[in-house]
Amino acid sequence: MMSENPADLLPELCVLGAAVIGLLIGAFLPRSRQWIVVALCASGLVAGLVAAVFAARRADLMTFGAFMLDPVTHVTRIVVLAATLLVVLLAIGPMRGHRRESEFYVLLLLAALGTITLGAASDLLVLMAAYLLASIPGYALAGFGKDAPGTEAALKYFLMGAFLGILMLTGITLLYGLGRGTSYQPLPAELGTAPGGAVMVGVVLLLAGLLFKAGAAPAHFWIPDVTEGAPPVVATFVTTVPKIGAFAALYRFATEALPPTTGDWPLLIAVIAAATMTLGNLAAFAQDNVRRLLAYSTVSQAGYLLVPIAMAGRTDLAEPALLFYLAAYAVTNIGAFAVVIAVGRDELTAYRALMRRSRFLALSLVICLLGLVGTPPTAVFVGKLLMFGAALDGDYTWLAVVAAVNTVASVFYYLRWIMPAFARDTEPVGPLDRTAQWTAYLAAAGSLVLGIGSGVALTIG
Amino acid sequence: MSALAWLLPAVPIATGVLLLTGRFTLGRRTDKAAPAIAVTAAFVALGLAIAAAVARPVVTFPLFGRLPAGLAVDGLSAALVLTVTSVSLAILVFSAGEFSPDESRTRFFGLMLVFTGAMLVTVTATDLVVLLMGWEVMGAMSYALIGFWWRDPRRVGSGDVSFITTRAGDLGLYFAAGAALAGTGSLDLGGLAAADGHWRNLIAAGVVLAALGKSAQLPFSFWLSRAMDGPSPVSALLHSATMVAAGAYLLLRLEPLLAATGWAATLVAWLGALTALLLGAVALAQRDVKQLLAASTCAQIGFMVLGAGAGSVAGGIAQLVAHAAVKSLLFLGAGAWLTALGTKDLTELHGAARRYRLVGVTFGVGMLALAGVPPLSLWATKDHVLSAALEVSPALYAVGLAAALLSAGYAARAIIAVTRPVDAATRVDTEQTGTRHVSLLERVPLPALAAGSAVLGIFALTPVYKAWKDLLGTGPEPSPGPAEMAVSGALALLVLAAAWTLMRHGRRVGAAWTAPALRWFYLERLAELLVARPVFALAKALARFDDRVIDGGVRATAATGQSAAALAGRGVEIRVDGLVNAVGRGARRLADLARRPQTGQVHTYYAQATVLFAVLIIIVLLVR
Repeated sequence: MMSENPADLLPELCVLGAAVIGLLIGAFLPRSRQWIVVALCASGLVAGLVAAVFAARRADLMTFGAFMLDPVTHVTRIVVLAATLLVVLLAIGPMRGHRRESEFYVLLLLAALGTITLGAASDLLVLMAAYLLASIPGYALAGFGKDAPGTEAALKYFLMGAFLGILMLTGITLLYGLGRGTSYQPLPAELGTAPGGAVMVGVVLLLAGLLFKAGAAPAHFWIPDVTEGAPPVVATFVTTVPKIGAFAALYRFATEALPPTTGDWPLLIAVIAAATMTLGNLAAFAQDNVRRLLAYSTVSQAGYLLVPIAMAGRTDLAEPALLFYLAAYAVTNIGAFAVVIAVGRDELTAYRALMRRSRFLALSLVICLLGLVGTPPTAVFVGKLLMFGAALDGDYTWLAVVAAVNTVASVFYYLRWIMPAFARDTEPVGPLDRTAQWTAYLAAAGSLVLGIGSGVALTIG
Repeated sequence: MSALAWLLPAVPIATGVLLLTGRFTLGRRTDKAAPAIAVTAAFVALGLAIAAAVARPVVTFPLFGRLPAGLAVDGLSAALVLTVTSVSLAILVFSAGEFSPDESRTRFFGLMLVFTGAMLVTVTATDLVVLLMGWEVMGAMSYALIGFWWRDPRRVGSGDVSFITTRAGDLGLYFAAGAALAGTGSLDLGGLAAADGHWRNLIAAGVVLAALGKSAQLPFSFWLSRAMDGPSPVSALLHSATMVAAGAYLLLRLEPLLAATGWAATLVAWLGALTALLLGAVALAQRDVKQLLAASTCAQIGFMVLGAGAGSVAGGIAQLVAHAAVKSLLFLGAGAWLTALGTKDLTELHGAARRYRLVGVTFGVGMLALAGVPPLSLWATKDHVLSAALEVSPALYAVGLAAALLSAGYAARAIIAVTRPVDAATRVDTEQTGTRHVSLLERVPLPALAAGSAVLGIFALTPVYKAWKDLLGTGPEPSPGPAEMAVSGALALLVLAAAWTLMRHGRRVGAAWTAPALRWFYLERLAELLVARPVFALAKALARFDDRVIDGGVRATAATGQSAAALAGRGVEIRVDGLVNAVGRGARRLADLARRPQTGQVHTYYAQATVLFAVLIIIVLLVR
């Protein structure tokens, strides 16, 4: 079904409206009343979320010839908006009274908007535009602290993004030439008749940009540096939200744009997935900085998330696996970062005896970290289960084995963080960030609820 | 409308649960407000009960998928919910006065409210499952309340005895529910009598067992004696409108089932009559006023059970209502004296009625009612039951009448003991240090309950009793003629007078004669000898079997495993260990290697990314 009705883009319009109005009124409000912009941005997100939930009940629809409304888009929208809302909550404490407070939230909203578009785009040019919209606010956010590590992080982020973006654009150009069009609808048929080698070169180059957004090897180099250098809230955002759009885009590209005869796709992605998860886990082993540790953990999670992408079209499990894992990953990862923001320290030693300082915060940390491992009954467990199922169902047993070995290995570094939290001796105590604390509780609870209620969530999806 | 049926039990239960959670989350800070909250909740519950008695709400809901279940207030339930809520209100008011602020008041009031709410569920349930839910919660609450002073091991032990004894009976109800499901395909209480043949017999057997256990009828009576270790208000509630009344209620509610089997009605009638007689004798022999009251409860409940067996539902329920008022009044009086004088021994209570006149007068009214003196309540209600018994068999009637006379006897003992002037041998504070004070809140409920005990004598009037039968919706039942009632009243007075003269002359019966009755006919010992010991012996034998045979096998397996492990440890483990260490070392080396590309320099990132993407392109081109 085709349509050109702007109301179909209501969730996006809500976010866009909140961002634009927020930017305008933020410029005229005194610093003490910037909270109005925060409230506006948050309500824009909530309104978008509500609109997205209602839109999710409608039949599949293509709008403006380039924006697909299907379950993948619906989940992308809901997860991106909910995750951004959690990040806004996290930002309230650290950003209060900041000189450019309103700009921060506006940039968050614009990046979220770009991410949704990334996941929904069914045209290569719109995909490129979405890539830029999702990336550029992120670069600005990374340098938001205007301090040395932040600036360095922002520059690295930008340079990597620009370079890999150019590769992506090259790939798009190649595919455009081979496929005589950029819209996904005619592409499979056209690419099917084009020379296979050239198509695969175009696909690999296109992957460069999407893997950059997803934070997967070999485009993952920016992740540890940005996660450590940028302000913690920004680190939370850029390791969580853009991934969602990138994986949705990868899945959509695999199922809608590639000709069904492209036999190399599963193998290509499977190799990248295996390399990503192994590299992320190994590099996380000896980290003493929790933010770098989490950064590598997100790299390894990106590896797991690539498994359903590799299996796209090979099994019916791929889509629920990807979508559920995305939602589970987003809430759990934000929870872990929220604990870091609440504590306000990056060294692993600062988490000694966290149990004594705040019982619930330590509990949230345990839930989120064990969640990232994939322990029942958290949400990621269900996501991983579906992911393994997809790999086995798609006849990629070796990939499932690699993922399982990696999961076991990852327990090591998560436990390195958990164990000291239960130490008995007391450390010098600093204040905890209250909003971040509550966000951590919320995210941990969300991870549990999503895990226990997975049956319900999957039937609705 | 149906909301009322939900609200009636929900208000006390929810308030009780809130109080208990408050106690365990906020600590002792809640103790101050707890009595007021509890009394308010009981008051609201009474209002709801009145509304429910008028409106007769019905609610049904499916249970376990398809079984119809529900709560409903019909005539029988209306009488019960009014009794339960008003008695519990009176008792909670009394407790608010009696419990000193340093007690764990929140826990007490929370448990009492849940206890009351569970009884309300039991009496409004229309099917066995919902009834069982209330029944079980009630049992658990009685356990927690009897062992309320848990620092004293004897009291906790009493809670155990009560709980285990009633639980043993409760098994019957589960059995009955299973049989009902198999026999009728439904758990609806009204449909049980329609079950066919042997299923009906099985259901009746289970129900009778459960009811006898809960109501402390023979042979289960001893648990009620141990239940006296709880606080006095607990005894007052447990003996009047809840717990023991639940068993009698169940039998009266299921009277059609008992009648349909034939044997069950006869059995129940005789057990009730015998309990009334034997426990009456027990009451007569007691020296402790609370023990006397406990035995008398068994005896009086015996009349209700007799009513259920003899087909006198209206009479049995009237007896239940009147007894609830009388017994709660008497326990509260005894409790007030225990708090004030620190004793509950009949010989030490001499003069108690003179020192606290209001307590004395109301206690006297209650005791006279218990004695069956006209025109007080139990005189009338008991005669209704007895006239039904006469229709069944004269022997049954004779036993019942003898039991009634015994009740006059022990009532006389108690009245004389407390009205006698203080003498040189009277000591106070034999059990605890008394406060020498009966507070206003403790006094308030007494006149109300005394009025109830007295006024319910109007059941003797034919028009009133007819209206009562219409309210309950029971069939035709025999009523006693004026002559019968006059005779029983006169006999009660005669016994009272006889006892009076005997005691005035200081006649004592030899201890050898009264010893069995004083010890409750050794029922607890018998239960221990015949049930507890064999069960323990069996358990020990099984434990030995488990230790020697099963455990032995397990241990042998373990030992074999261990020796195999030792064997493996010498030859294999060193190599495996080495392998594990090698894996660890390898992982660490790989981990160092994995961090190597992360140089922090963008140009190396560019180079690596370019090379790796080039490699990927080469791979896909080569694989083709």
